[in-house]
Amino acid sequence: MNTENKIKIFLVDDDAIFLRMMEIEFMQQDNFIVKTFATGELCMQHLPEDKPDVIILDYHLDGIDKNAMNGMETLDKIKALNPSIPVVMLSSQDKIDVAINCMHHKAFDYIVKSETAFMRLQKIITTILHYQKMEKELSWYMERM
Amino acid sequence: METRRQESHYARRLIEASLDPLITISIEGKITDMNEALANITGITREKLTGTDFFDYFTDPQKAREVYREVFANGSVTDSPLTLRHRNGKLTDVLFNGSVYRDDAGNALGVVIVARDVTAQKLLFNYSLSLIEASLDPLVTISTEGKITDMNQATVNITGITRENLKGTDFFDYFTEPQKAREVYEEVFAKGSVADSPLTLRHKNGKLTDVRFNGSVYKDDRGNVLGVVIVARDVTEQKRIATELTEAKVFAELATEIAEQAKSKAESATQIAEAAVKSKQQFLSNMSHEIRTPMNAIIGFTKVVLKTELSKKQQEYLNAIKISGDALIVLINDILDLAKVDAGKMTFAHVPFKLSSSISAMLHLFETKIHEKNLELIKEYDPAIPEILLGDPVRLHQIILNLVGNAVKFTSEGKITVCVRLLEETSEVVTIEFAITDTGIGIPENKLGNIFDDFQQATSGTSRLYGGTGLGLAIVKQLVESQGGSITVKSKLGQGSTFAFCLSFLKTNASVETEADMGIELETGIKNVKILVVEDIALNQLLMKTLLEEFGFEMEIAGNGKIAIEKMKTTSYDIILMDLQMPEMNGFEATEYIRRNMDSQVPIIALTADVTTVDVEKCKAVGMNDYISKPIDDKLLYSKIIKYLKKGDGRETGHKERAELPAQEKYTNLDYIKKHTRNNQSLINEMISLYLEQTPSLISEMKQCLVTEDWPTLQAAVHKMIPSFSIMGISGHFENKARQIQEYAGTKQNTEKIGALVSELEEVCTQVYTELEMEINLIKK
Repeated sequence: MNTENKIKIFLVDDDAIFLRMMEIEFMQQDNFIVKTFATGELCMQHLPEDKPDVIILDYHLDGIDKNAMNGMETLDKIKALNPSIPVVMLSSQDKIDVAINCMHHKAFDYIVKSETAFMRLQKIITTILHYQKMEKELSWYMERM
Repeated sequence: METRRQESHYARRLIEASLDPLITISIEGKITDMNEALANITGITREKLTGTDFFDYFTDPQKAREVYREVFANGSVTDSPLTLRHRNGKLTDVLFNGSVYRDDAGNALGVVIVARDVTAQKLLFNYSLSLIEASLDPLVTISTEGKITDMNQATVNITGITRENLKGTDFFDYFTEPQKAREVYEEVFAKGSVADSPLTLRHKNGKLTDVRFNGSVYKDDRGNVLGVVIVARDVTEQKRIATELTEAKVFAELATEIAEQAKSKAESATQIAEAAVKSKQQFLSNMSHEIRTPMNAIIGFTKVVLKTELSKKQQEYLNAIKISGDALIVLINDILDLAKVDAGKMTFAHVPFKLSSSISAMLHLFETKIHEKNLELIKEYDPAIPEILLGDPVRLHQIILNLVGNAVKFTSEGKITVCVRLLEETSEVVTIEFAITDTGIGIPENKLGNIFDDFQQATSGTSRLYGGTGLGLAIVKQLVESQGGSITVKSKLGQGSTFAFCLSFLKTNASVETEADMGIELETGIKNVKILVVEDIALNQLLMKTLLEEFGFEMEIAGNGKIAIEKMKTTSYDIILMDLQMPEMNGFEATEYIRRNMDSQVPIIALTADVTTVDVEKCKAVGMNDYISKPIDDKLLYSKIIKYLKKGDGRETGHKERAELPAQEKYTNLDYIKKHTRNNQSLINEMISLYLEQTPSLISEMKQCLVTEDWPTLQAAVHKMIPSFSIMGISGHFENKARQIQEYAGTKQNTEKIGALVSELEEVCTQVYTELEMEINLIKK
């Protein structure tokens, strides 16, 4: 398969275990290119010249390193740089207000870390691509007007 | 005279300088004199021109002659168009002007002709005409009366009427709304011009053309209006694009709407599907409960009665009841197993076991039956197979029991061969083939394809003759394939069948724990045991009472969780047997209350009819120590009770004890990682290394935070640890503890409890650390 058709994903999480697990799972699907970042800062450094199709971002990035940028700040920065990149937030806490807050900051979706997280991510990515295709078609029609 | 000569000479020069041919012709039409221009245009020398017939130089000599006569008749002629021909064929359009010249007496001597060269003018005219003709927009000139005086080709095309037929007709007749066209026309006269007035032209075959009507009046030199020039711009294409765009817009809006609908539909479909799976699970759970509860009483009491003094006949009948009951339970278990596989809930143990003795023990079960049917049993066991393997012996039993059971069932004479062969051996894994061959009725070839489907037997008559539900092979297939193995069948009708399956097992250095003999001999040293049975159904209460008293235990009964809790406040019990589904307060709620509110660690064994994994998980989650599924096997019940009595030395209830989950001897279970890395050893290795690297620092971070009472950082640290629990297959029980820490630290409530929880977590993690270190060393080997 050529790299053109592959879906490029940025994974950002300070939990090395979960990060590697997700990477492994994505790499086993043939159609993904995965880049992993342990911090929001690293992600932002790569973002201007490297545009991913989807970013999967941990909510807690500043848990241990207090000076690190947290998930929400990273989300805002990503959206400020390029609002068209869909961002899916990940967190191990199942709290509605956190989820709603993420959505208010223009996250595409919010997922709780669990065994089924990867499966849900796959579903969401499918939905994102579906939406993007629809939006592309729509803008094509709009241009004709 | 000199002056005259000079004048004449001057006139001559003027004549010669003219670019227009000047010629004098005699009355007979012969050229008498000419200037250089004529010589140039005809390409003939003066000498040769002189005296020749003038008219021969025109393309149309007849017409030239007529013009010539006209000159004589009228005395002159103005701007008569004619064409001169050059010797080499080149034509020159000229306007012929001539006048008669006479002698002093007034007699006509001849004609002086000026032929003005108008080629360039004509070219220009033709050019603009062709421009007009080339225009795709109809161009029409109309007289003041509204009659068409001229038009271009586009007008012809759009109306479908020839020029001849158009000319002189009423212009307005070609519009769909003649009245409106007339108004526009009048407007042109009123204002002098009109721009972009929308009208529609009609083709004679009915086709309509939308046009923008632009017109302006044209006048003669004196300013009198002669008519109107009209350009009707064809806007059909524009209109079509506009319409298409509107359509596209509507379509796009519609598409968005459809997409939104589709999304919400998909969401609700997912919800429905999830609910359906849940309700299916619930249904199976309920059904198994409903069937097992009465079966529990039937089989239990049959066993009890069988132990009493009976006549031979009575014993025979009771045995029949028991065998039928057992068969029914096997059927229910089969259905539940399939449901579990369907729901993806089937889990496989990885415990060390001895394959050869496992096979022997299984075949032993069939010995009587085989002997009865006068069959021969042959066992071929490959001695190269390692003695101890890592796998799920219970499921292996289930598979082989099913296949050998079938072989025995469908064979009336001959032999049954069980062959166990080593197929492949690497440093980590052995692959073993199990083949069961019989000389029975065989399977027709056309049935071989779906023999592994649910509720299938080779012929519909099979179950009538031989019994069975047709679920056995479906379960066998699922069990084999879920463990990454494969199963094949070969058969010849009337000659017998061979079922062969391959399974891989990990090698291990571990030794097999010899299971304590579940003898029913009463353990000495365990006396004065007090057991609380929490059970709502009277029949089962009675059965438990009979069994426990037979074991020599003291027992009390509570009808539901609430009564049990009341009883526990006044009396101390050594062990609690807890039914799950009860009125008032069920087993889960009661256990949770006992563990949390009463802070008691008394061993609790669940008595469950629901053997779906969902409930087993739930039992562990609320803090139960173990479970026994109904119908209760008296030997199993006894051995489990003894196990727990021995463990905590029984009596002490307030004593803090590490919750022991017998179903999982180890803390970790690498099934998740193995499954998700597709058993890639280096990836597994890497994951474990990551865990070993990350966890100790998190634990020390948490401990540090405890000292500094930095609750937010503590919360963050434990938060980061949570996902690793499920990845490493650590029990949800501990994950819940971690979540509890997270909650306490997050809300800054119950912070005094955090310390104990953290040290508990540390203990677990240390244990996990050791296990994973061993695992990684094993992999490295």
